[in-house]
Amino acid sequence: MAEEQNTNETRLVGMLAQFDDPHTLVAACDNARQFGYEKMDAYSPFPVHGIDPALGISRTKLPFIVLAIGLGAVAIGLGMQYYTNAADWSPIFPGYAFKISGKPIFSLPANIPVTFEVIVLSSAFATFFGMWGLNKLPMFANPLHRISRFRRATNDKFFLMIESADGKFDEEQIRGQFNSWGATAIEECREDLTDQKLPQFVWVAALIAAFMLILPPVLIYRAVGMTNEQPRMHFMPDMDWQDKFKTQVMSPNLSNEGGKDYLFMDLRAMRAQIPGTIARGDSTSLGEYETGVQEDSIAAYLSGEVYTGLAAQDEDAPAEPDWITGFPEGVTVDEDLLTRGRERFNIYCSACHGYSGNGDGLVNQRAVALNLSGSAAWTAAKSLHDPEVKNSETNPVGRIFDTISNGRGTMGPYRDQIPVEDRWAIVAYVKALQETGIEPPAAEEAAAADGAATEE
Amino acid sequence: MSATIDPNLDNFSTEDPGARAPLVLGDLDYNGVTESVTAIWESEKPPKIGFLILGVALSLLVMLGGCIGHLLMKGVGVWGNNNPAYWGWPIVNFVFWVGIGHAGTLISAILFLFRQDWRTSINRAAEAMTIFAVVCAGMFPGIHIGRVWAFYWLFPIPTEHLAMWPNFRSPLLWDVFAVSTYATVSLLFWYMGMVPDIATFRDRCKNKWKKMAYGLLSLGWTGSARHWHRYEMAYTILAALATPLVLSVHTIVSFDFAVSQLPGWHTTIFPPYFVAGAIFSGFAMVVTLLVPVRKILKLENLITIRHLENMNKIIIATGLMVGTAYGVEFFIAWYSGVANEQFAFINRAFGKYWWAYWIMVTCNVVIPQLFWFKKIRTTPWMMVVVCIFVNIGMWFERFVITITSLCSDFLPSSWAYFTPTPVDIMMLIGSFGLFTTLFLLFCRFLPVIAISEVKNVMPESHHPDHGHHDHGDGDHENGDDAEVAPAH
Repeated sequence: MAEEQNTNETRLVGMLAQFDDPHTLVAACDNARQFGYEKMDAYSPFPVHGIDPALGISRTKLPFIVLAIGLGAVAIGLGMQYYTNAADWSPIFPGYAFKISGKPIFSLPANIPVTFEVIVLSSAFATFFGMWGLNKLPMFANPLHRISRFRRATNDKFFLMIESADGKFDEEQIRGQFNSWGATAIEECREDLTDQKLPQFVWVAALIAAFMLILPPVLIYRAVGMTNEQPRMHFMPDMDWQDKFKTQVMSPNLSNEGGKDYLFMDLRAMRAQIPGTIARGDSTSLGEYETGVQEDSIAAYLSGEVYTGLAAQDEDAPAEPDWITGFPEGVTVDEDLLTRGRERFNIYCSACHGYSGNGDGLVNQRAVALNLSGSAAWTAAKSLHDPEVKNSETNPVGRIFDTISNGRGTMGPYRDQIPVEDRWAIVAYVKALQETGIEPPAAEEAAAADGAATEE
Repeated sequence: MSATIDPNLDNFSTEDPGARAPLVLGDLDYNGVTESVTAIWESEKPPKIGFLILGVALSLLVMLGGCIGHLLMKGVGVWGNNNPAYWGWPIVNFVFWVGIGHAGTLISAILFLFRQDWRTSINRAAEAMTIFAVVCAGMFPGIHIGRVWAFYWLFPIPTEHLAMWPNFRSPLLWDVFAVSTYATVSLLFWYMGMVPDIATFRDRCKNKWKKMAYGLLSLGWTGSARHWHRYEMAYTILAALATPLVLSVHTIVSFDFAVSQLPGWHTTIFPPYFVAGAIFSGFAMVVTLLVPVRKILKLENLITIRHLENMNKIIIATGLMVGTAYGVEFFIAWYSGVANEQFAFINRAFGKYWWAYWIMVTCNVVIPQLFWFKKIRTTPWMMVVVCIFVNIGMWFERFVITITSLCSDFLPSSWAYFTPTPVDIMMLIGSFGLFTTLFLLFCRFLPVIAISEVKNVMPESHHPDHGHHDHGDGDHENGDDAEVAPAH
């Protein structure tokens, strides 16, 4: 080979002998050690048994390194779990002590599996990298690799090299010894000194690589503390931006070339209502059926000139509108309507007013009791058999309808829960209940409940 | 005895009943072993069947890639996972592949510690199989998390915007640690074991670039006695670390199920039962792979019938353990007196999924019993058939456990019948494409057999005078001295 013939600038590293079987190698190593050689090594395609004592190789300290790392991993594994799941005192990257499924924040049994895995992983890394480190590998530049014969060291031949650095090194003497120990070939191992310098381009490449490596941290450092009007970079948008328009935003311009190609040419993203849409509180479409107020009075009722609903009991309250006194057009009082009314009444009204309408609903009873004990404020629900309520002069059907729709006193509005036709059904059922002749509760009782309410 | 040994030699072929068949046949010397292993790598024209299989595997791999892309664009709704079976095929496939991934480390670590020298010619391929199976396994939960780009939330990495940490009291997190540790340690073990053999490849390279690549991978390995000393020590330590690790991995996978309170899952038998099942399926996969590999790569002298038969014996043993576990599950369900538990098991065997349960029992308990017949456990094609059934059965085992319990839990109103989508099916098939592609590339470019380890157990490696018979069962002095030297 060319490398081997180039003897201009080479240095003798050692003498290499080839043996054909492991037993001769071990014997040769034994002889070499007994002769007094110290700097030598054997090379074989597999670990040869008995060669460690023959070469005088002392036991490696690798197991102790692994043991130390493994024991350290116990602390790291447990510490990591304690810190992340049980400690939240750190100012930076604090742990997150959250209770979950009623489990204790830190419990050893639950932390054993991860600790175990951390121990195994750390010890395996320690073994793997420790072994290569102690062996001083990787080392790609080795004069042995330049000897073509040595390639069989990974196949079927066994080698012994005595290094020139050994105190007893003598080339000729070693040749003789190798021959007498059964070597099948002897060769000089030479290190080529001519090409030990790195080629120029490697330096240039390394310089460029180093510059490239420095760039990102420099850019990051520069970016820290800088203000930027651009939004944050989102590499994965998740659902942060969705294809939708909110009210009061402009219609998007779809033109890529800077032209004007709006999605909606009126420049608004929100759309006008479809013709025929009725807005809440739209006076033009409300009649007696929807309000319970006489046709003439509706405009005043809706504008707020006449009063209704919650503040109606106020002294300064404006006059009430003209309520309709009979059922409006579109409501036919028959058995179906009453049945429907009873059903709806039992669902929506009976909780406070009671099934018989006598103000004895369960919620009301409980609330009145709490009120008397002073633990809650409550205005007792009216009995629907109260003369005031029964009076169709002051409380005509239109007003009852309005009470259900908008509430009265402390009673809340039900217009959003109960559709108009059902409200009329309830009104019909209430009128029917009032005809049953049920006696309202005794005056004292009502007074007591009222009195308690006022005291609050 | 003649110079050439019948490759079909099995354990009982020699006249002395106390002797075992040699581990290396064909009267191979050191160089012969090297040549056998490197032949396919050095050959200009690898067998055509390899390209054929690679073509099929690559198309399946492309299909898998397409499915994953589809999944990432559309979301996990493309799978059949839905209320109540939120753990559908992805988890079934995960447990299936992780289980297969157990045989490699078992062969390399546990059999190493027990000084079972017959492991030497199968451990490399089995370790490679382990790593590729773990790749397939890791993929499924990886894409099952929905937002794959946030996968790093699985690990305790300090992040300012999230300000949260994983919950270390959850078995699912234990699983992350177990599987990633297992993958890493298996990779280290595999690579470290391969370095001397890569050096052999390096020294046989004729092409400059190839030589450079293998040179880098072999880290400048020379075979120095000092290096071998530390190397062997490191190998023993890694084996000692990998042994509890391999048992822990499927134990922790079983915790995913056993720590929950679902009937059919909440049982203490799961860890040993899962580990036995993992070894069972893993060995079945090793046999399924190695029988064609030894044929195509002409490795019959190194992977002998004795190796295959030993693995088949382990399959019977673990198969019986799995079968026993099936029975014990039923017994405990009855003995516990818990109505839900009893229902879960009756439902498993006779409910909507009766067909899956009985496929599982047939493939895992009944069919492996064929291995009691010597003819079947020593005939390559027959053992492959049995092993394929075992793998089908083990997939169904995970299906039965996952799906039957989820589909019929405490609340009858939420019961449902799980139906996979075509994406589910294509991804399972595609994962075999990934696995096969990786394994074929391994067979083509890396040492399929641990060359240095095989040489180490060859009888000529041991000095006849020293009496070092710690590798006793393989001892024989070449062909002419007959391989009947009993273990000392």
